[in-house]
Amino acid sequence: MNRRKFLTVGGLASATLMVGNPFNVFAMGEVKKLTILHTNDVHSRIEPFPMDGGKLQGLGGVARRSTLIQKIRSEEEQVLLLDAGDIFQGTPYFNLYGGALEIKLMSQMGYDAATLGNHDFDNGIEGFYKQLPNANFPILISNYDLSNTIMHKSTLPYKIFKKGGLKIGVFGIGIDLAGLVEKKNYRETVYQDPIQRANEMASRLKNDLNCDLVICLSHLGYSYRDNKVSDKVLAKQTRNIDLIIGGHTHTAMATPEDVSNLDGKITTINQVGWAGINLGRIDYYFEKKNLAKTSGKYEIDNTI
Amino acid sequence: MTKKFLIRWQAIWLLPLALLISCKPHFELVKAKRKQYNVSDQVQADSAIIKTYLPYKQKMEAEMNAVIGKADSMLSKGKGPESLLSNFFADACLIEAKKIDANIDFTMPSTTGGLRNSLPKGNITLANVFELMPFENELLVLKLKGTDVQDLLQFIAQSGGQPVAGITLKINNKTATDVKINGQAFDASKTYSVLTSDYIAGGGDDTFGLQHPIEKKTLGLKVRDALINYIKTQTAEGKSITTTLDGRITKNE
Repeated sequence: MNRRKFLTVGGLASATLMVGNPFNVFAMGEVKKLTILHTNDVHSRIEPFPMDGGKLQGLGGVARRSTLIQKIRSEEEQVLLLDAGDIFQGTPYFNLYGGALEIKLMSQMGYDAATLGNHDFDNGIEGFYKQLPNANFPILISNYDLSNTIMHKSTLPYKIFKKGGLKIGVFGIGIDLAGLVEKKNYRETVYQDPIQRANEMASRLKNDLNCDLVICLSHLGYSYRDNKVSDKVLAKQTRNIDLIIGGHTHTAMATPEDVSNLDGKITTINQVGWAGINLGRIDYYFEKKNLAKTSGKYEIDNTI
Repeated sequence: MTKKFLIRWQAIWLLPLALLISCKPHFELVKAKRKQYNVSDQVQADSAIIKTYLPYKQKMEAEMNAVIGKADSMLSKGKGPESLLSNFFADACLIEAKKIDANIDFTMPSTTGGLRNSLPKGNITLANVFELMPFENELLVLKLKGTDVQDLLQFIAQSGGQPVAGITLKINNKTATDVKINGQAFDASKTYSVLTSDYIAGGGDDTFGLQHPIEKKTLGLKVRDALINYIKTQTAEGKSITTTLDGRITKNE
């Protein structure tokens, strides 16, 4: 109990206590566990940062990340490995090989899905398309209309993963490319309202397709000083999203942030810096639905 | 009367259906446990991954690890309106571009956000320059009306300073004052030749003021190549990179 933190969202701080005995949730029947691992904005950082006196020297590296992932996979039955975009750009590996190595290594590590970041368009939409044969995982994006581009058959709006009896719906949301990417690079990609699309996707996944958990891979960015749409705005203005795995702003969050969504339920935002210097992990525990309990609140503990 | 009766019957038939829907094998969240792993040298490297990237690494290093120059101090971004890195970047672009077009007045070749890595103290490799400027952007010279330059100055001031050369200014309350271009006081009725990149000229990074040039000229020089050429020229002249904070942008707040 000592290091445990209980959630405080809105005015419902004690909502966790609604279940008979929150300290013994496992007493109530079958419990299922799912482990989510995630990265964002890896930016072609294949090797650790060089020891050149820079702030991040010696940190990161795909080979180390792979060891961590393998260890967790050997300990946990149900694991999903996800990335929130900007796989490309940042080291000469990208300049020389166009992102082939980044995608190959993600396939080798067993990524389950990724979304598109703005820098993934840096060699043009053709440049990303060219690397798709190296990907054994889907690219999820629900608010870019790519129908008039070479990628019209290359992405999915969402994917449902079935993990040990659980259904997990994952969808992707991208940032407005105008002003960030040259038009000649994103071509006829049409950006659609992320809030509206996210609400449509999440409702479909949770209500129509009966997913037990809905995850949004977002490249909108954590938060902005002005009203620009961000993960914080997205979390507050949507329903049915349990977790937003964010990117773009390279935000290193000390702990994930729990936002009260339109239904007053928890939408968690997490982002783990950039360049693969961190790997995020969230373990979710589920029980058979108890009709008496519909608060959408659950116990949160920032330790594993 | 008949209508009411029908509605009641419908409702009865719907009851088992509603029960069926709510009894779907749903699970609900009861708990989340969370943690972040630091990917540091405390974690053993996976040799299978190294095996995949080693051939790529060797080929890349053969090309990229060539030392092209030396820096007297580490060039990085700071919190102020100018930094060693931004001054180096803008100076190098301006000097190299002026070899092609001597009439350029000043430059904002990138935003601060476009400078993607620091340059280390000591040896500078080609890889270092690629990491600083990974993008394939081209340098452009725009002929701008003074009023458009004023918009650009406003962008520079309200964003707290950007990489510039050939211009000095003070930021007062998010406005540019005491602007001197090429040593001369800024005159909004004149036109100016402004060096920038195709990305910034297209409104990249939400810049403004550059979108309506009177003329637009490409120099056939990539931003990164300008940096590489500048460093190589310094080296050929027996000089290292010595950048200073010269107060080209100051901030009163």
